[in-house]
Amino acid sequence: MTDGIQPKEKRGIRAIMVRSVLQIVRRPLMWVGMIGLPLFLFLFITSMFEEGLPTRIPAAIVDRDGTSLSREITQTLGGMQMVDLTRTANSYSEARAALQEGKIYGFFLIPENFEANLLSGRSPEITFYTNMSYFVPGSMLFKTFKATAIYTKAGVAVNVAQAVGVDAEAAAPLLQPINIASRPIGNPQLNYGIYLGNSFIPGVMQLMIMLMTCFSLGQEIKRHTSTRLLQMANGSIYRAVFAKMLPQTIIWFVMIFFMTAWLFKYNGYTMSGSWLWMGLSELLYVLACQGFAIFIFGLLPNLRLSLSICALTGILSFSIAAFSFPEQSMYPAMSIFSWLMPVRYNFLIYADQALAGRHIYYSRIWFAAYFIYIAAPVTVMWRIKRWMARPVYCP
Amino acid sequence: MKKIKNYIKGVFEVYCREFKLILHDQGLILFLTFLPLAYPVIYSLIYNPELVKDVPMVVIDSDRTSLTRELVRELDACDQVRVIGYAADLPEARKAMDNHDCFSILEIPTGFTKTVGRGETGAAALYCDMSLLLRYRGFLVASTNVMQEMGGELLSKDINNIAPLVSTISTGDLMPINNVSLGNIRNGFDSFIMPGVLILILQQCIILALGMAGGARHERAAVVGYNPHNNSNSVIGTMIGKALCYFTILALPIIFLVHYVPLIFSFPMAGNVLEELAFLTPMVLASMGVGFVFQAFVTERESVFVSWVVTSIFFLLVSGLIWPRYDMPSVWKFLSGLCPATWGVEGFVKMNSNGAGLWQVKEEYEMLWILAAGWWVAAWCIQRWVVLPAAGQRSSRKSKINDKALSQSVIDK
Repeated sequence: MTDGIQPKEKRGIRAIMVRSVLQIVRRPLMWVGMIGLPLFLFLFITSMFEEGLPTRIPAAIVDRDGTSLSREITQTLGGMQMVDLTRTANSYSEARAALQEGKIYGFFLIPENFEANLLSGRSPEITFYTNMSYFVPGSMLFKTFKATAIYTKAGVAVNVAQAVGVDAEAAAPLLQPINIASRPIGNPQLNYGIYLGNSFIPGVMQLMIMLMTCFSLGQEIKRHTSTRLLQMANGSIYRAVFAKMLPQTIIWFVMIFFMTAWLFKYNGYTMSGSWLWMGLSELLYVLACQGFAIFIFGLLPNLRLSLSICALTGILSFSIAAFSFPEQSMYPAMSIFSWLMPVRYNFLIYADQALAGRHIYYSRIWFAAYFIYIAAPVTVMWRIKRWMARPVYCP
Repeated sequence: MKKIKNYIKGVFEVYCREFKLILHDQGLILFLTFLPLAYPVIYSLIYNPELVKDVPMVVIDSDRTSLTRELVRELDACDQVRVIGYAADLPEARKAMDNHDCFSILEIPTGFTKTVGRGETGAAALYCDMSLLLRYRGFLVASTNVMQEMGGELLSKDINNIAPLVSTISTGDLMPINNVSLGNIRNGFDSFIMPGVLILILQQCIILALGMAGGARHERAAVVGYNPHNNSNSVIGTMIGKALCYFTILALPIIFLVHYVPLIFSFPMAGNVLEELAFLTPMVLASMGVGFVFQAFVTERESVFVSWVVTSIFFLLVSGLIWPRYDMPSVWKFLSGLCPATWGVEGFVKMNSNGAGLWQVKEEYEMLWILAAGWWVAAWCIQRWVVLPAAGQRSSRKSKINDKALSQSVIDK
């Protein structure tokens, strides 16, 4: 048992801190959980989405017409940056089979007699199919296919106008009378890394901070060293928990500063606001996660149960904290839980400060929420003390 | 003959003992029942509204004509957008956005209608909040649809002024454009992400349970309260006995995951359940192989939480569900190939959502069998040279002190 106790019975905050540091240093698992895994995921998530958006999405064109017009459409589509027309399919069923097998993510269907029907005014339909079981490539293809179809339509309109004797130049402006240009604020290239990294990486931090906090507290009870810890703190549970957590807090501070620098400096993710407020938010975030974990541990002072709850909340946070599906669209009964997760506030502050560069006034509530988490453990300290004084391990 | 009989008897004994061990272990029961039964339901409920609808938008209309009002009305009529009001100028609109009252601003400049009337392109700008891509996507789809719709109307109205004869050639829409979503036909978020997540949950629950069972062996019987050693004479026999035990326990949860969860939440169910189960068999085997290897790194029951739970994020992102595998950086593509869930998710989504038959996911199926074989070989080596020797040392050392320690712990309690 490595509880780092010196034989001379040292007491006080400093002695507990030394003991806590030794506990971290002596267990490789602590290194893995506090440094190894978070660093790996920082690197993994940012490098995974380095390109910003997937390009050259495999697709097919089913040309049932085989005329100069349909070949022109094929060429237009082939020239699009997002699409890679890897396959030619002769029929709908052939293309659908390729889509089912995952060889393509969508296809564009030009019907038989397309050109002839078009020129004779029989309004032939153009249909494109996208595989929405894969959201990102599916949506990208949708966008590209739609654009191609609209260009084609415009070209056809000019042809028709010319056929009745209108100057092509006179007809051209009619093709797009209205244009709504979208201006994505803070992420003009629609970089997937900026979108996902800024929410998932703090999410990883929350998960690891909560797990490590409960793990190290639970170990004291499991290994029956908690009575010693209380003795060293002269019976004060506040002193015991504070001194035990402080070395971890410092490690997490270093990690979260590295994270902030890694995201906004090295990877150049959008940072329109002030570094000061973002930095403050990250520091408070660490404390909030620790506070939340101690609170959970106080409710369930059992190593496995509290870790289970932390794992549940930590992993569910990636969904319930509304990183991808907006909280406003969830069922109200579910969206309440969104506001229970510390990472939700971190995400909202990021969206306000770093992404949109808003005044700090608009994030005031999110900052205030951090303090609720930080204060939460106070309500359960008496329970932790009771369990620490009489440690019982239930497997 | 007798040898074979003894061997099977040994495997069967391991199977029975493992069953008892699992039933006496709350932690394992939780991993093997709560995880596959409750997690998917909670997850599905979060995303179950499927679509992002009525996202608030503020309009700055500096033109104020019937055309711009129609434009705003058309946008408001879209499923994705709800116009919550007009703002006088950009600072006012921006204030609404800063206050989180709206997530986009449509700015229509003065002279918009005149420009359109002149036969030029009237340009409006749509500022979008980018914290969530789904919201942005909704705005984009809505504005593109409105652009196209109103453009078409204006075109058919105005083209008669330029060339009266055109309308005789083409009445109505010149070339209707249709789009069809395959697989996930409603474009729902739940139906997109959950079929893959179900498979990830299955893999993680197997690895976590095996890891925790492995950790239990390292712990003193005194702490855990029972003797967690369960070995037969042959390493592979022990592994097979345990694997069969997990298979038995997981049979119902697996059927629940692949059939009932999609049924309850009306996800796409285009595949054949029996084929899907056949497809998932090697994935379950491969996951068990990973679990047996993972046991080498677990020295304590609870450490699986710290060292494995977060890998779910890794497995989700490399699975190809979010980012297509063909476009991944090569390191991650290679690593993703080693994960059972990657191929499991790919194949299951193709079968369940896109209706592929087992023969159409041949590549994934083969890869899963190869992975299962590879991980089992690795697992055998790990069990033979790392896990069993370590546990053996402990148990021989422990048998002497066991009784003493046990009585001591009872006194402690």
